[in-house]
Amino acid sequence: MTTRLVASRRRADASLVIGIVLIGIVIGMALVSYLWTPYNPTQAMPADRLQGMSADHIFGTDRYGRDTFTWIMYGARITLLVGVVSVAIAALIGVPLGVLAGMTPYGWLSGLIMRGNDLLLAFPALLLAIVFSAVFGPGTGPAMVALGIASIPGFARVARSGTLQVMSTEYIMAARAANRRIGPIAVFHVLPNIAGMIIVQASVAFALAILAEAGLSFLGLGTQPPTPSWGRMLQESQQYLSSHPMLALWPGLFIAAAVLGFNLLGDGLRDRFDPKLKGRD
Amino acid sequence: MTRRLTAWAAALAAVVLTATGCSAGAGNNGSGGEEKRTDMVVAHTAEPVNLDFTTTGGAAIPQALMENVYESLVRIDQDGELKPALAESWDVSEDRKTYTFHLQHGVTFSNGDELTSADVKFSYERVNSDAWTNGLKAKMAVIDSIDTPDDATVEITLTDPSNGWLYDLASAVGAVFSEDAVDDLANKAVGTGPYEVQSFTRGQEIVYAAREDYWGGQPNLETVTFKYYKDPVAAVNAVKSGEVDVLASLQAPELAGDFESPDDYQVVEGTTNGEVVLSMNNAEGIFADKKAREAVLYAIDEQAILDTAWGGYGTLIGGMVPPTAPYYEDLTDVYPHDVDKARELVKEAGIEGESFTYTVPNLPYATAVADIVVSQLEEAGLKPKIETQEFPAVWLEKTFTNHDYDMSVINHVEANDMLTVFGDGYYTGYDYSQIEDAAKKADTGTEEEYVSGMKDVARTITEDAAAGFLFLFPNLIVADAKVEGLPENFVSDSFPIATLAWK
Amino acid sequence: MAGYLIRRLLQFAVTAAAASVIVFLLMQVLPGNAAQVALGTNATPEAVAQLERTYGLDRPLPVQYLDWISGMLTGDFGTSYVTRAPITPVIADSIQVTLIIVIASMAVALLIAVPLGSLAAVFQKRTLGTAISAASQVGIAVPNFLAAIILIMIFSLGLGWLPSSGWAAPIEGFGRFLARLALPVLALALVQAAILTRYVRSAVLEVMREDFLRTARAKGLTKTQALVRHGLRNAAIPVVTVAGIQLATMLIGAVVIEQVFVIPGMGSELVRAVANRDLVTVQGIVMVLVVLVLLLNLIVDLLYTVLDPRVRRAA
Repeated sequence: MTTRLVASRRRADASLVIGIVLIGIVIGMALVSYLWTPYNPTQAMPADRLQGMSADHIFGTDRYGRDTFTWIMYGARITLLVGVVSVAIAALIGVPLGVLAGMTPYGWLSGLIMRGNDLLLAFPALLLAIVFSAVFGPGTGPAMVALGIASIPGFARVARSGTLQVMSTEYIMAARAANRRIGPIAVFHVLPNIAGMIIVQASVAFALAILAEAGLSFLGLGTQPPTPSWGRMLQESQQYLSSHPMLALWPGLFIAAAVLGFNLLGDGLRDRFDPKLKGRD
Repeated sequence: MTRRLTAWAAALAAVVLTATGCSAGAGNNGSGGEEKRTDMVVAHTAEPVNLDFTTTGGAAIPQALMENVYESLVRIDQDGELKPALAESWDVSEDRKTYTFHLQHGVTFSNGDELTSADVKFSYERVNSDAWTNGLKAKMAVIDSIDTPDDATVEITLTDPSNGWLYDLASAVGAVFSEDAVDDLANKAVGTGPYEVQSFTRGQEIVYAAREDYWGGQPNLETVTFKYYKDPVAAVNAVKSGEVDVLASLQAPELAGDFESPDDYQVVEGTTNGEVVLSMNNAEGIFADKKAREAVLYAIDEQAILDTAWGGYGTLIGGMVPPTAPYYEDLTDVYPHDVDKARELVKEAGIEGESFTYTVPNLPYATAVADIVVSQLEEAGLKPKIETQEFPAVWLEKTFTNHDYDMSVINHVEANDMLTVFGDGYYTGYDYSQIEDAAKKADTGTEEEYVSGMKDVARTITEDAAAGFLFLFPNLIVADAKVEGLPENFVSDSFPIATLAWK
Repeated sequence: MAGYLIRRLLQFAVTAAAASVIVFLLMQVLPGNAAQVALGTNATPEAVAQLERTYGLDRPLPVQYLDWISGMLTGDFGTSYVTRAPITPVIADSIQVTLIIVIASMAVALLIAVPLGSLAAVFQKRTLGTAISAASQVGIAVPNFLAAIILIMIFSLGLGWLPSSGWAAPIEGFGRFLARLALPVLALALVQAAILTRYVRSAVLEVMREDFLRTARAKGLTKTQALVRHGLRNAAIPVVTVAGIQLATMLIGAVVIEQVFVIPGMGSELVRAVANRDLVTVQGIVMVLVVLVLLLNLIVDLLYTVLDPRVRRAA
């Protein structure tokens, strides 16, 4: 038993480390891009168009002569922004609802919340995002909000089941018996106990949001020009697949790396936070 | 349990194997075979939402139907010249107001009806009735009366002489319908043309079948299919993998280089009537000031735009007139690329760093142009803010109808559209009074007066910095090397298929 | 059991009804006047008003809603005022295409994921297990449209084996059908398989720890034999659940794949209808997709009850 525990711990650590490194690279690039980038992202230099990798342009240039590395750096911002905002929307709405559903003594309230959750589940992220882009016009904003709303049910479910577990512990039973108010119990006892699960969920939702944003931008419904975005870079590189495949390679690589990073982080954290789930992916 | 699972797996594996096994043949479908093919597949970008151009706008429906299914009395050939179509000849009266058309004999509609002068009268009077709601109908407003002295003669009298009208007649407004076949135009097209619509699958394809009883003789191909690809790269892939024989308009010009092997493919570069216009709202906002518009025109480098956004294909024009028009004049030197001058004008106009809306329809050329235009404008101290709008729905409503924009970009594809685009109340907001008299005089004057008058109008528009004229849209056709009879230039409303053939 | 079934069906109906109201209201705030778009650039205001009257767009919203919903219940999705054609055939055609692609993809994905996931579990601590786990992690991170582009480059443009786009119904020739089905299905299935492999792996690992397997092994069965004889049913429960949920995701995820391969499925029709401001069609397609997702959730729930005796007893 101990050997297995150690093995799984080691694997979790490996996941965590790789995940944190990958995410660190993405965050680092986004932060550095505020201070410095090799070139101005929107400035076209027609004379330098479609160059390969060189000392001047380490990732080459696009059809307008813009530096691809600069674009990758700026693209990291949008990727993170979409992830952070959509996860924040989902968590800020989903978690309180889930906790409430788990704590409330009124069955109808918990039922109502969970039925509302089911209703939301009927609108998958991409469908909601397409409808939103039609209603509010295509853009990063509507995409983030749509992805956020579509991720609410996931957070609500996790929060509710976590809350139910916590509520059944003797400690909480005692607190309730002592007539402690529901608010303080939620803040001081429930939330800290379910925080780990929420963070895992956030990590997974983050990865899904990155993929969804890339897909939307690929359809032309996500981030709009001239804002650099990895998904849009991939879409624009399609014309050059046979002549300049590197143009597709870089954004593709970074999307995959970011998604992989958040998935690995989620896995590693899950193994850490929930010893019962050890050995699971 | 286990056995059943294994059986399932085996069955599914068989299916997968069949898939790869059959595919080799299917992929080569069409390119092999010694016998001459009698069918052809043509890929297009803009798809018709229905078959009724009398009530639905846009270029896609006329492109599919004019000359192929519907015909007018006259047509425009590849060089932009007027040619007889359903009218074998016509006379113009002394006062240039009455046209007498002599119809071809033995013309039938695809439903068997015979063409008579009554059909022409019916069709053209219908344009001026409420049945037509397409804005194009304005072109026929100049008709005063239509007479039919006999079955083969039509006499059309105009309210004023017009140099442009006969050319307009060659477009969709001139289509001749059969009186008893206009009930369901959206789904059934009955015309006198060489082909009839065999099937129409919305969003996917139109299949045309050759008519044996076409008055002009049976066309070369028995079946022609138009397939619609919204994504330009997918269309190119379809040509490469042999599913499509002709790509009517390459919307990803950077890919032209992929078709360099002359044994397999041909790339035909022709011209169109499409001016890619960087429109500015002359009526209100930041560009109501001529200095601001001039700053934009000095700031943009049309050659660089053409090279980066459209692979260098296309022609610089500098004005609203394509080189194929009789009144064309090279206006590219009126506003040369001069960033310093642009900066100066930006300062003079006091608009440095002032943000303005640049609405971009989500069309391949428009989005490709947007990035480079923004870069050039920023260099001159201007601050455009891109707002992507879906085409047609959102762009039509916000930019085109409500004039809620500062700058936009669109390819104005119609022939002779200068006076429309800079006409009264149009979205450009141009002060029409600047050209109104000159335009009127030109249209009603002699042919020489027409040419010189229209030249003046075009020059006035350019000098007023009414809009940026980025380039003339090229007609890039990619086709199998063995296809001949391709309509090299796209100067009429239609993509004629009767001339297509296999070598 | 019957009580649970009725309760669950009722829940489904109420959720679907609530969703229909949301869909209808969302369409009302869609910018772009449908009549204006249908009529084109130079339409007169009178013509626009007349078209609105013809299609009943000037009636009060509740009336329009009831009209729409009652039509849908009888299988009539109305007439598009953009294409001037009934919408029901459009939906009927495109839903077949999407369902064929999605179900075939799920089948292929399971075909890949079940053996791989089981192998990864059985060889958990060996190189093979680690390699499969790592590969599935990477697979999940690849956007499906990227997989699609790569597949097109290899199999259509490079090798010339398969067409790069288009669709053929099975009646147009089974070979043609399969040739056009292969790449989109593969693009969806590969990424899906990566996701499912992980679930299969953890489900099998879970089962391997159960007591009855230890007993079976104690009786002299090998690990694999014990797993196949006793473990599969138990491992199937979480996998079926996830597959059902993923099926719903794929239904929408296919949008991007349909665009890349120019396939006339629900996604393509939806994107087209949105671009054309074909409101009635958008409404109809979104509603059908929503109901399909709800239906899938319902089926998963019911299957779960059937498969898992513990849940069945609880219900």
